[in-house]
Amino acid sequence: MQVASANTVPGYDPIKGMQRIKTYPPPPSARAVCKDPIAALTTAQLTTLDPQGARAKLFSKENPEAAKVGDILLVRLKNGDDFAGVCMNIRRRGIDTAILLRGNLTRVGVEMWYKVYSPNVDGIEVVQRREKRARRARLYYLRKPKHDVGSVENVVRQYQRQRAMLRSADVRSRDANSNKKKSNKKGKK
Amino acid sequence: MPPKLPSPWVYLPPPFLLPRRLLSTTPKRSIQSHYPPRPDRFNHSPSLPILNSTPSAALARKAYTLPLRTGALATKKGMTAIYDAATGKRTPCTVLQLDRVQVVSHKTRRQHGYFAVQIGAGWKHPDNVTRPLLGHFAEHGVSPKRHVVEFRVRDESGLPAVGAVIGAGWFREGQFVDARANSRGMGFAGGMKRWGFSGQPASHGNSLTHRAMGSAGASQGSGSRVLPGKKMAGRMGGEQVTMQNLKVLKVDEANGLVVVNGSVSGPKGCIVKIQDAVKKPWPEILPNEAAAEAARATA
Repeated sequence: MQVASANTVPGYDPIKGMQRIKTYPPPPSARAVCKDPIAALTTAQLTTLDPQGARAKLFSKENPEAAKVGDILLVRLKNGDDFAGVCMNIRRRGIDTAILLRGNLTRVGVEMWYKVYSPNVDGIEVVQRREKRARRARLYYLRKPKHDVGSVENVVRQYQRQRAMLRSADVRSRDANSNKKKSNKKGKK
Repeated sequence: MPPKLPSPWVYLPPPFLLPRRLLSTTPKRSIQSHYPPRPDRFNHSPSLPILNSTPSAALARKAYTLPLRTGALATKKGMTAIYDAATGKRTPCTVLQLDRVQVVSHKTRRQHGYFAVQIGAGWKHPDNVTRPLLGHFAEHGVSPKRHVVEFRVRDESGLPAVGAVIGAGWFREGQFVDARANSRGMGFAGGMKRWGFSGQPASHGNSLTHRAMGSAGASQGSGSRVLPGKKMAGRMGGEQVTMQNLKVLKVDEANGLVVVNGSVSGPKGCIVKIQDAVKKPWPEILPNEAAAEAARATA
C-alpha cells in the first residue's frame, strides 16, 4: 500500500491548492414529507375510531357546546356498564385524550379515567352542564368534603327520564297515523 | 569504553531515498492473531480439539446470532398508542422515522476480517464535514451523512448494494426487532436513583441522612476495605441500551415510519439502531420480494 504524499493526496494540486471534493445529492427525505408523524398516526386512527368526528367535537376547545370541566358526564361502555360523575379533568393528548370523572359507586367516592377515543367507550353524554365556567382547568378541590358533589345518581336519573319522555313523545309523533289522529271522527284525512 | 555496535552487512541509503514500498509500514487491519496456530502433522488429528483462535472459528461462533441482513437508523419521534377497534385493546408504541438512510460501504472478511454494512442517515452540510469524511462519502457515491453506523451481518449475502436506500419497508408488520439507543443521561445520580437503595427514615430524629448510602460494607471480616464493584453514587445513563424483541406494529413507507411496541431508550429525537431480533426466527424474505426490495433500494 502506498503512503499518500503531497502529490498523491486526492484533490490536492500543488499549483492550484486544495480542490473541492465532489458531493452527491441526498435521497428524498421522509422527514420533510412527514414533519409530525405522531399527528399523522392520530388522524389515521381517528378515521376508524371517530369517523364522524363527534367525539372530537364533544371535547373540542373551539366548540361552544363542548363538554367542559365541571359538567356531569355519563360514560357508557361497550359491555353495557356505565359510569357518571363530575368531570374534573380533560387530559388532551391526541389519541390518548382522557377524562377524569368523580362519581359514587355504592356510596363510595370513586374517580375514573376514561380514554375518550377507546373502542370500549360506547358513548359519552353531557347530563348536566355547569352553570358558570369553572375558574380552573383541574377541579381537584372537589375531593374536599366542602366541595364534593357526592352522588350524581339523581341528576342522571332525572336526565334519563327526560330523555325517555322525549323519545317516547318523538316516537308517538312519528307514528304512521299521527296526522289522522286529531280529526278522526268524520274520517277526514 | 562503550561497546562497539556490530556494523550492518549492507549500508542502506537514508530513509527519504528508499523506495516507498520498502518503507511503508501501514498495517493491514483485520482480526488476525500474531501467532496463529498453523496446522501441521503433529497438531492436526481427529482426536485433538478443533483450533479455536482462527478467524474462521471466530466467525463460526457468531454465525448463529448475527442477523442475516442489515438494520437501519431511525429517529425516535415519540410515543403514542394504537387502539384495536375489534378488541378495544390499547397498545402503547414508539414511533421511529427513517430519514435518508443509505448504505455507505461494506466491511468484508477479505479486507476487514468480518462482514458488516456501513449505514448512513440524515444529511450534513459539506462545509461542516471534514475532508477525509467527504472523500469517504465521495468514494462510495453517497451524500455526506450526519450519522454513520455499522451493522454486522453474517455473510456476503447480507450486504446490499452501496448507495441503496433503506426505507421503512425494510421491516415488516408483525416482525420483531431489537432497538439500540443511548439512554437519557441522569448525570451524577445518588444511590437511591441509581441502585434503588431504600434510604433512611424521613423523621424520628434522622439528621441530614435521608437519601444517603448508609454502610459501605462489613469491617474486618470483609477484608477491611470496600469491596470493588460496591454500588455507590455516580454517573447514570447516557449509555447504549438494547430493547429486544419489540414487535413492529405499523409500517408507513411513504412517511418512513416504523411503529414498534413498547418503549425505546433515549429522548425524542435520538438516533435508534433497528435490526432484526436476534432471539426470534429471522424474517422470511421470499426471493421475488427480495428482488423487488433490491430494485426499490437501488432506484
